[in-house]
Amino acid sequence: MKKIVIAGAVAGLGLLVACQPAAQQTEAPKKEVTAQKKKLSKHEKFKIALENQDKYQKACSNPVQLVPEGIDIETFKKEMLATVKFPEGGVVGKNIARGEKLFGDPKKGGKSRRGNCYACHCGDPQIIACGNIGPSLRGYGKRGIDPKETYIRIYNSWAVNPCSVMPRLGYHGVLSPEEIADIVAYMHDPNSPLNK
Amino acid sequence: MKKRTLFASALLAGGAILGTAAVAQEQLPTHLKELLELGMHPGHSFVDEGREMFHKPGPNGKSCATCHGQDGVKLEGAYAKMPRYYKDIGKVADIDLRILACMTKYMGYDKNDKKFMKKFNKWSGPYRVPLASYVASLSNGQEINVQLNHPEEKRMYKLGEELWFMRVGARDFSCGICHTVLAGKRIRLQGLPDPVKQKVYTHWPAYRFGSDRMWTMEDRVRSCWKAYFLYVKQWNEKKDWVKKPPPYSEWVIALELYMKKAANGGTIEVPGLLR
Ligand code: HEC
Ligand code: HEC
Ligand code: HEC
Repeated sequence: MKKIVIAGAVAGLGLLVACQPAAQQTEAPKKEVTAQKKKLSKHEKFKIALENQDKYQKACSNPVQLVPEGIDIETFKKEMLATVKFPEGGVVGKNIARGEKLFGDPKKGGKSRRGNCYACHCGDPQIIACGNIGPSLRGYGKRGIDPKETYIRIYNSWAVNPCSVMPRLGYHGVLSPEEIADIVAYMHDPNSPLNK
Repeated sequence: MKKRTLFASALLAGGAILGTAAVAQEQLPTHLKELLELGMHPGHSFVDEGREMFHKPGPNGKSCATCHGQDGVKLEGAYAKMPRYYKDIGKVADIDLRILACMTKYMGYDKNDKKFMKKFNKWSGPYRVPLASYVASLSNGQEINVQLNHPEEKRMYKLGEELWFMRVGARDFSCGICHTVLAGKRIRLQGLPDPVKQKVYTHWPAYRFGSDRMWTMEDRVRSCWKAYFLYVKQWNEKKDWVKKPPPYSEWVIALELYMKKAANGGTIEVPGLLR
């Protein structure tokens, strides 16, 4: 158990996620064998990666890019909403510091580019390296928005706005439900630099 | 090699230059424009290096000049029409693949020699980037004129157009999202150009200050795929991230053909200079 706690602290991910690699360790050799058996070439890998396109992405792959083709918008939204998984502890997480890292500026310790909200949004006024693709999230927590709405938007933005340029981060597993809940906590916390 | 580094460090020595370059949006900072006017363009040393290599015999004694003429006279204007279909290799090739094909088919270099291939692929290697820069420069002043005559050219163009708008990967991106829909916006601090409308192909291959490297369009297109977060089974930054398409693959050349055709009528002026 001690080992797991250290791993969690190092990865800065908390116990839940840290447990996973540890649990997988016993199975690792078996997996390696199967992986070796069918080692894919770079060509095969890239081909599969493109074939992984889902039907919603396909519907958004027309020259307009932001309006689905072949699926009616309400059905599209409903089906996207149905993919949203909620964390057991509710949509507002407890680890605000992790939320800040994931929201993230790499210079502030959020090494991962998974959340990468600053690529498109401004927020913390201290961070000037921010994009103007999405609306500014400055003062977001003071707008009286239901945290559940925030959660859904981050988990699957296409449930709100089909074909949006904002990636479906939870849907694709780029962020886990618990991680998204922590981002929500950070965004709605009155003491968050976003809201001060 | 030495020559390149010297040029680059001379330019970067004035730290202010790099600083300005890093925040510049669409346009070159005036410092760089002035350096250009003085004839100090780090890309030119790549062209010079390519010219030398062009006249150097390969393993079988033949040099590029043996077939394409002293100073590449027979290749003047060739780059303006590339990518195109080549009968001798049975496919549509961009400048990078065409050079590779000539070296392995006609000069005695071995495609299965891993050491050679590594050297060829590498941006800092003596073959691909310098030769592409040199051959491209032989079309300076000419108008881009890509035609879709051969059925393979038509098929590749269609594939390129499809790929341009194809939303895929764990970030739901496409070339069109960043470069058509969001053109003119800023992703973090980087301005997003529209390579289709702006006919950017006229300035590729280009020297990029940010990375202190000369890039061919192959390098540019392949790098942009990194943003997609493509995967085989489930996206994972460490374990399952398909970063780029393989070099000289159809996926890359098709996109190049799509963008180059859009640049028809634009005047080639290479090597380009970007921040
Ligand atoms: C690739 C660009 C992009 C990224 C990355 C991105 N967003 Fe967005 N976001 C947008 C756009 C564009 C909108 C505007 C609505 C739309 O087009 O769907 C938006 C809208 C939103 C909204 C609704 C804002 C409002 O005023 O109603 C929230 C909340 C939001 N984003 C949060 C986030 C968070 C949190 C992250 C990081 C985990 C993030 N976004 C990452 C592009 C992005
Ligand atoms: C033994 C002769 C030979 C040698 C040596 C050779 N090539 Fe080629 N090259 C060809 C042939 C054949 C073609 C195809 C011409 C065609 O189909 O129009 C070609 C085509 C090309 C093209 C495209 C020309 C066009 O009109 O589109 C370029 C660029 C090129 N070669 C560059 C090079 C470079 C650079 C080298 C040296 C690294 C080289 N070649 C060495 C025979 C040669
Ligand atoms: C997430 C956004 C994003 C996506 C997706 C993307 N690019 Fe880019 N691309 C950029 C940025 C940012 C730059 C400018 C980099 C710079 O300033 O040096 C760029 C530069 C370019 C350029 C050079 C433009 C110039 O000024 O000469 C080309 C060409 C290009 N991209 C092609 C593509 C193609 C083809 C695709 C699809 C495979 C693609 N990009 C996907 C962000 C993106």
